[in-house]
Amino acid sequence: MSNKHRVSRRQFLNYTLTGVGGFMAAGMLMPMVRFALDPILKEEAGAEMVPVAQVKDITTEPQRFDFKVKVKDAWYESEEPKSAWVYKNEKGDIVALSPICKHLGCTVNWNADKEHPNQFFCPCHYGRYTKDGTNVPGTPPMHPLDRYEYKVKDGKLYLGKAKPRGGA
Amino acid sequence: MSVKWTVNDVELYLKEKDYIDTAVIPLMPLSLSSGAKATASVGEFVQLLTGELERQLKGRLFLLPPFTYFVTERHEERVRRLAEWTRELKENGMKHVFYVACDREWKEAESKLEGTLFSLPMIPFYDMDETYKQQVIHEQISQLLSAFISQWT
Ligand code: FES
Repeated sequence: MSNKHRVSRRQFLNYTLTGVGGFMAAGMLMPMVRFALDPILKEEAGAEMVPVAQVKDITTEPQRFDFKVKVKDAWYESEEPKSAWVYKNEKGDIVALSPICKHLGCTVNWNADKEHPNQFFCPCHYGRYTKDGTNVPGTPPMHPLDRYEYKVKDGKLYLGKAKPRGGA
Repeated sequence: MSVKWTVNDVELYLKEKDYIDTAVIPLMPLSLSSGAKATASVGEFVQLLTGELERQLKGRLFLLPPFTYFVTERHEERVRRLAEWTRELKENGMKHVFYVACDREWKEAESKLEGTLFSLPMIPFYDMDETYKQQVIHEQISQLLSAFISQWT
């Protein structure tokens, strides 16, 4: 393959990705635009934790919050859409779970399967997790959902990295 | 976001073939003549939606590079080519083949194809208000998501 050919393919890919990626970030993360534009939060740019929700909006029922994080790969910097299932447990502690299924990476939903209410459900191969993220034995996932590191500051919930938890 | 025809993802696919049983083919028209802008808008929309669906259902979907065709290509010819892609995928073990298209013409071809067609509405995004556009896209993503999931059950 000639070098010239390779460059033009890569350029094409780059254009395609930038176009679609930018468009997507705009489309998927509407609720976050407000936060991103908030001048107080701007100072946090570059810090590892990102603001995701107002603490007063967090209930005992898991809710999904969307946000974005900057990622850099070899070619360009982009913003990756992320989400978290967030709720307060009986002790009043905040729990923020990654929605990425530990089987093969689909996005799980809360309470989506009528036969198994109050669980997280993965539509791909019907994996299930209890409310605290523990995988239900007999379904494909072998590990509990990852938990985000979090902190609360000025009434806002900030999330960091999603960390794996020990076995069920 | 990721393109799925990559070494990493192919590796995962080969390892988890039993689980990744659904190929998704975005159908992408090309044109450089007067309709080019509308055609590009269709392409952008189809890529945006399939990309997001892949992100949410990556454990089961294999998102292929788009099936591209010039709008001037004869109808029977492109149907024949797509049928060929489909046959190849099924022979290699894909249980489901999903096409995602905006172009009405594919509707007529559906009976000649072994995969399932998901038609998106033609939406003139290029002169749409930004906020409204985002709402429409959000809406389309969740509709397509449940359409995919219901095909599996
Ligand atoms: S990816 Fe969730 S069960 Fe397979």
